[in-house]
Amino acid sequence: MSAHSETSATERPGAFDIGIQDLAWTALAVLVIAGLGHYADSAWIPAGIAALFAFATVHAYDRTTRLSVGAIGGLSALFVVKMWPAVAAVTSAEPFVESSTVLSWLIGLPLGGAVFLLFMPRQAHGLLKNLTLAIMGLTFAASLVLLGAVMGSGYHFDQNVAWIPQFGIRYHVALDGISLWLVILTTFSVPLATFVSFGSVHTRIKDWVFALLLLEAGMIGAFVSLDLFLFYVFWELMLIPMYVMIGVWGGSDRIRAAVKFFLYTMFGSVLMLAAILYLAYAYGQVSGTPSFDYFELQRLVLPRSTQVWLFGAFALSFLIKVPMWPLHTWLPDAHTEAPTAGSMILAAVMLKLGTYGYMRFCLGLFPEASIEWGINLAAVAVCGGILYAALCAWQQTDLKRLVAYSSVAHLGYVMLGTFSMTAAGLEGAVLQMVNHGISTGALFLLVGVLYDRRHTRQLADFGGIASQMPVFTAMFIVATMASVGLPGTNGFIGEFMIITGTNASLRLGHFAGIQAVGAALGVVLGALYMLTAVQKVFFGPVTKKENEGLQDMNSRELIGIAPLVAFIFIIGLAPNLILQSVSGATTRIIRDVNERLDASPPPDYHRGEAKLLNRRPEAPPAPQTALAAVAAETK
Amino acid sequence: MLALESLFPNDNFGLLGLIIALPLLGAIVNGIWGRRLGKQAVTTMALTVMGLAFATALVTVLHLREVAHAAGHGERVRLAWTAWEWFHTTGGRSGANIPVDLRFSVDQLSGIMMLVITGIGFLIHLYSTAYMAEDASYARFFAYLNLFVTAMLVLVLGDNLVVLFIGWEGVGLCSYLLIGFWFGKVENAAAGRKAFIANRIGDFGLIIGMFLIAQYTGALDWDGIARNAQQLLAPSAGARVHLWPVGGGVYQGIWSFLQPVHPLTISGATAVSLALFLGCTGKSAQLPLYVWLPDAMAGPTPVSALIHAATMVTAGVYLICRLNFVFILSPFTMTVIAVVGALTALFAATIALVQNDVKKVLAYSTVSQLGFMFLGVGVGAFAAGFFHVFTHAFFKACLFLGAGSVIHAMHANVHDDVASQDMRNMGGLRKFMPITFATFAVSTLAIIGTPFTSGFFSKDEILFKAFTSHAVHPFKEKFAQRGLGVWQQPTWLGPALYVVGVIAATMTAFYMCRALFLTFFGEFKGWTVGDAPAHASHGHDDAHHDEHAHAGPAPAPRESPWQMTLPLVVLAVGALFGGWLNAAPFHFEPLGEWLEPIFEHSVKAGVEAVGGEEHAHHLMWPLAAGGVAAFAIGSAIAYWMYIAQNGAPAKKLAESNKGLHQLLLDKWRVDEFYNATVIGVTEATAETCAAVDQGIVDGLFAKATSSSVAAAGFVLRALHTGIFHAYGAAMVLGLGGIGWFFIAPHADVSVNEKSGAWTVQAAPGMGYAYRWDADGDGKFDSERFSELRALTVTVEPGKSKQVRLEVKNAFGLTGSTTITVGTEAKKAATVVGLR
Repeated sequence: MSAHSETSATERPGAFDIGIQDLAWTALAVLVIAGLGHYADSAWIPAGIAALFAFATVHAYDRTTRLSVGAIGGLSALFVVKMWPAVAAVTSAEPFVESSTVLSWLIGLPLGGAVFLLFMPRQAHGLLKNLTLAIMGLTFAASLVLLGAVMGSGYHFDQNVAWIPQFGIRYHVALDGISLWLVILTTFSVPLATFVSFGSVHTRIKDWVFALLLLEAGMIGAFVSLDLFLFYVFWELMLIPMYVMIGVWGGSDRIRAAVKFFLYTMFGSVLMLAAILYLAYAYGQVSGTPSFDYFELQRLVLPRSTQVWLFGAFALSFLIKVPMWPLHTWLPDAHTEAPTAGSMILAAVMLKLGTYGYMRFCLGLFPEASIEWGINLAAVAVCGGILYAALCAWQQTDLKRLVAYSSVAHLGYVMLGTFSMTAAGLEGAVLQMVNHGISTGALFLLVGVLYDRRHTRQLADFGGIASQMPVFTAMFIVATMASVGLPGTNGFIGEFMIITGTNASLRLGHFAGIQAVGAALGVVLGALYMLTAVQKVFFGPVTKKENEGLQDMNSRELIGIAPLVAFIFIIGLAPNLILQSVSGATTRIIRDVNERLDASPPPDYHRGEAKLLNRRPEAPPAPQTALAAVAAETK
Repeated sequence: MLALESLFPNDNFGLLGLIIALPLLGAIVNGIWGRRLGKQAVTTMALTVMGLAFATALVTVLHLREVAHAAGHGERVRLAWTAWEWFHTTGGRSGANIPVDLRFSVDQLSGIMMLVITGIGFLIHLYSTAYMAEDASYARFFAYLNLFVTAMLVLVLGDNLVVLFIGWEGVGLCSYLLIGFWFGKVENAAAGRKAFIANRIGDFGLIIGMFLIAQYTGALDWDGIARNAQQLLAPSAGARVHLWPVGGGVYQGIWSFLQPVHPLTISGATAVSLALFLGCTGKSAQLPLYVWLPDAMAGPTPVSALIHAATMVTAGVYLICRLNFVFILSPFTMTVIAVVGALTALFAATIALVQNDVKKVLAYSTVSQLGFMFLGVGVGAFAAGFFHVFTHAFFKACLFLGAGSVIHAMHANVHDDVASQDMRNMGGLRKFMPITFATFAVSTLAIIGTPFTSGFFSKDEILFKAFTSHAVHPFKEKFAQRGLGVWQQPTWLGPALYVVGVIAATMTAFYMCRALFLTFFGEFKGWTVGDAPAHASHGHDDAHHDEHAHAGPAPAPRESPWQMTLPLVVLAVGALFGGWLNAAPFHFEPLGEWLEPIFEHSVKAGVEAVGGEEHAHHLMWPLAAGGVAAFAIGSAIAYWMYIAQNGAPAKKLAESNKGLHQLLLDKWRVDEFYNATVIGVTEATAETCAAVDQGIVDGLFAKATSSSVAAAGFVLRALHTGIFHAYGAAMVLGLGGIGWFFIAPHADVSVNEKSGAWTVQAAPGMGYAYRWDADGDGKFDSERFSELRALTVTVEPGKSKQVRLEVKNAFGLTGSTTITVGTEAKKAATVVGLR
């Protein structure tokens, strides 16, 4: 009678088996939660109920898993309640003391942890794993402090210490609404990837966790540095662990992919270094002392001829990282060969360094050149990114390569939003960065699940998986829907804001409309390649013997995917939780660029000698150092 | 009701949230715990939430009626509820901030839709409890079905385009999941994907419509769009949508041949409404995107009834009715809608004439009826078009459910998905399934327009309006005063649309009667069909199958249980009497009056009746004759062919026109045509892209660079022989070269000008001495070499001078150079100087 009873042992069809006892326990739990919440903080009530719900949702799993998923559910709900715009407005009345050392802790914890782990015994896998997770967990907890600040349009948690004063190099870290979410995304997704990776990486654990911690430190550092030298140090620092991760724990062709990844990124970085040095030198020529500080360099107005070259060097470096057509071919190789955790981190965070870098440094330091080139680059983002990469993705036979190409397409949206220079476009771009981190991270995790079981990623090797792994299928379809931008999931909000923002863009001139249409066409192609893949993998009869009786998601994988799925819906339904702290920063970027362009309008922009403007109003106050004072006197 | 008012004020009407949340709750509970809870609990859950949703919707609409009464006749009233602020976006050329709230509202139009969705939805849920009773994935089915109702409610209750879009894509997702419900078969999953992607093409249009509306009106909610809709007609060149040159640019240089004499522009209203209509053709299965709907019949039959007949596919008509004030601004789009509708009605009807699969007949019939609805709204008869949505929901849902009941009974005998739906295997079921027969017959009578059934009133109203009315530019006079021409619909189009509609209606009468006669009349032919060959392809119903496979001679088909017949009866009653809600020929139009506030303004401004309202009115009865004739002729031919002659003329006709018959049976081979053109081109492009990506892009940026480095390395490696003598020889050669550089004298100079004085500076060198010829007389100023490295010459503006320099180095070797200085020769001097 019941053909399905063999697939699930827990099933007892035909009757209610939630007894009166279960109901009583649930009611009691709700009451306890409400009571505790009433005395502690009413925000805990929905969190507790969500935890209870999540606990009950994964009924087939063991108690530890259910407790963990329950905790994830509760914390997600707490996040929503605490960040809800109306609530946030009320609580912000209390003064929030910004500590200037938080960001250093965020960099220092994983960095110091990595060093600390070097002194741990190589054989003690359990100890290494738990310590790593503890360090990352602590980093994540510390990063939540950042959410307490009201972002507005300025910079927060500013720390500015002299490092190499002779060259004007300082240790300067600070955070605005854009980097806030990217830092949180980093501290959120790296522990997840690490946790999941412990299920599939079993060799060289010590090296593995060392690389992961170093990578996390490097990425966080790159997102918060506002000294270009420091930025460059972190930018290169994160390159090496990823190179090692692909090269050591990767697939069969890992060495080639690792070298390709390294050389591509390195090529851009070296040019950027040259441009950074020239900038500092040019600043020194005008002001007397060289400086690598972002806010100081932002004051510098260079003639168009120079600016175009410097912009080119910076942009090349960032666009390789994004990656944008035609510099994207390292990405499919790197993703295919990288271990699951490597792919997750690469997609979720590292690619964002490119888009973030463009938004922060290209738009901030070279607004004239950025606008001049933006129109053409937007065309590349639409044709080469959104459309071309989507068509390429459709033709892939390797599931991971397909997701990699979809990344290129998604980041095409991010870049298009950035080039549009409209409020919705830029906010959508920032949101889409976070979205892509979540949904593509989830997709890579899920592809990894499949790979761990079958040791193949070829679409042709699957078919009918839905009947074997129902939970996995459900998760994959949720991630797919987020990826194709179904309204109600996070992907839609970002794409919609970018498309409307592009259409409303004045900076893109008369191309705005057609570029928006092109971006909208990408929505169709997204459905085309993702659903084709889903159909080939999950539906139809089970044609291969190896696919029979595959184990459904295990506890580790379920705990790993749970927060990602939760945030797919949370951001999809309440994007304002994130947008409220982004809009100030994006508005500032637009205003800064507009003011510069009003002062030196196109097509000539600034001609003649380089000159210095005043510091931007949002810039944190400049530290008055002895050297600067001397320089001011001699001038 | 008073209590209701105090609890839920009109602008914070929280009951709407409840109406949407109830089916969502059912979807979540059944989706997550369904298998654990068991079938009985799943049934209870699904039916309870649907029943409560219907009850709440009914209370809401009754309340709405009171509010409408209080507001006075002809006022649009609305109950709204904001869940929370969702996000915001940028619109308008000034870059204004457009808030997008998660806001729901119900007015006269969405009220009716809400009742249809929850009411018919409840009946179909009830029906499904019996129809799906044997299915292994019972809980999953109800989770999807409940989720669909949620999405559909979001679609009709959304207070802005973006919230509507959640529902719009949400129903698409549920449709995808339910078409591919039996995903074990590749065809089912492929049909689901086809539906989703065809709908996505439509959604592409909807997204374009949305951002254009945001750009022109600076709003996305209904009120905001209505307030600023006139912006869509702003006649200035900058405000129009430039199709060519794209976006209003100018082609220059070598591209100037692309520049047209007059740029090709359309008004914002036309662009927006055409884009939105593309979305409607996707969702509502109109030409050219209708191809997914017939394939969608792969899903369980209750799904076909609920989603692909009664509710989801009418979303396109709903959208046009909802945004009637936008569509009315573009008579061109209105005409396109009417023509597309009429052609779809005719085209789908021709295919339905010959299909043998009962669900396929009904599917094409749905496409055809949707065409009638679009014909109605396209000529500005919004109320008539919407009325057809309403009546169609009853009779088509009843027909599908009746077909499902038949298939359910047939399946017990035939055990094959395809054969159990083939009408050639049926016949005579009238005797075995009296209730199913009666309801199916009533619904058939309704759809073919038997006088005074629901289909008669709604279809005749559409045909009448197609003949008499058409859309006109609402600001015709104003534009004429400013010397601007407006597009006008040709006068012959109205009668032409009427004729096409009548032909399509005749065909409808024929194929529906054919389906009825083949299924229920004559002798039952199912005794001998199926069994042996059918076993293999027997996907979804394993349990069922095992029960009956070895049961010997098949039992007679049985009437379905009450859960299935009760909905049939209710729907049949609706199909029979529903028309009296809007019986225009009898001047009894409660539904028309109820909807009047929604359409009144648009109809007054933009719809004109031929020869005036009075004249048109006199045509009502004469034109109804066309519809009645269609009914009579179509059904009479079917009767003659299939009852009187027992199918012989049909066979003869098919054999004498073999090619045409096969073409119709193959659905005009439109799928094949699309595969060869649109899909083929896209696939070829994609293949090219993938090949280019691997071959050219990767080849150029990765492989070519790396191999050029490798090649350089190869060449250089050849020099690194490791032979000491070779290195020594290279060193000697190098030293010799450097030595020669030091031994040879270098007479290099640089020239600088400062206010007419030209300074010629010679390059320094080891033991260098210089002598100059500054006056250009050919002789050196002093024969002796001196340490004088620089020389200043004064040259008048416009003149130039020759300066000669000779250098002697420590080895006594000399070298010399000649430079021309002066304004005229400034450039030359510099070049020569650097030699």
